[in-house]
Amino acid sequence: MNLMEHLHPHVYIPLKIGSMDLSITNAVVSIWIACLLVFLTLTFAGRIGRLIPTGLQNLMESLVSFVKNSLIHEILGEEGMVWFPFIATLFFFILFCNLLGLVPKMFTATSNINVTASLAIVVFICTQGAGIAKQGFVGYCKTFVPKGMPGGIAGVVLTVFMVFVEFISQLARPFSLAVRLFANMTAGHMVILVFISMIFMFQGIFARIFVTPMALVMAVVMMAFEIFVGLLQAFIFAILASIYISLAVHPEH
Amino acid sequence: MDATGLAQLVPGLAKLGGGLSIGLAALGTGIGMGILVGKAIEGMARQPESAGMLRTTMFIGVAFVEALALYALVITFLLIF
Repeated sequence: MNLMEHLHPHVYIPLKIGSMDLSITNAVVSIWIACLLVFLTLTFAGRIGRLIPTGLQNLMESLVSFVKNSLIHEILGEEGMVWFPFIATLFFFILFCNLLGLVPKMFTATSNINVTASLAIVVFICTQGAGIAKQGFVGYCKTFVPKGMPGGIAGVVLTVFMVFVEFISQLARPFSLAVRLFANMTAGHMVILVFISMIFMFQGIFARIFVTPMALVMAVVMMAFEIFVGLLQAFIFAILASIYISLAVHPEH
Repeated sequence: MDATGLAQLVPGLAKLGGGLSIGLAALGTGIGMGILVGKAIEGMARQPESAGMLRTTMFIGVAFVEALALYALVITFLLIF
């Protein structure tokens, strides 16, 4: 199945330390290029410093203020600015990784489950850490139990059940974050690959004359849709991370 | 009952399972998204000033509903390849 070959990282420089495989693959190079692009774009856009922003400065300023207003102030409030560097880095990194995958010869880093799982584990550690730091370990464990439980033996059984359900839902959150981003990116690229490989699948001159324009048009349409999906998924990841942190810090009653 | 004969069916059955998985998941997801976006449009028609907030919340809802279909897609990938 040569479809899957495009979605697996190719090793450029094999490198093993102990028993860990740290080879330089094209996924690693794509992540480096994405990090470099994020750093350069934001630094230079900040350096331009015109009073009335135009061009690159305008674009980056609108994105940064979008993150500040919609992702931090709406959800975490005024003291949420502590979390602004983390959420903004998450948003810009995922955005640039997604969009970089559309450039020919570049690998979509976020279409690898390892990358998205790492980001999701970092968000998980941040939410649990924020909850424990704000309320203390015992106080945070107390938020697992909802209010208004009936007394007696039924109450104890119900409480144990609710704590168990709360545990599962807390563990399901980073899992769903990782799988959502990974599957969106992989599925989009796989659809484009299927359309392009349709051109090669059909033998015979008449079938090819008929199929090639349709496949090319559909591939272009799917590429445009992929740009939108990349933007949307970066926004969703960042806003969900923000919401989970706010739920851990101000538990709802 | 021939053991090796039945074993030959397994790859075909796996692909059948993969197709069924994403098909059934898309069924529920389509219904859910239809209800979600329909309600969002209804809300925007009632009160156009809140269109921005409704649009943002709709996108968050779309991501949640789509995630369920994508879990099934991951199972399909596992079954087909």
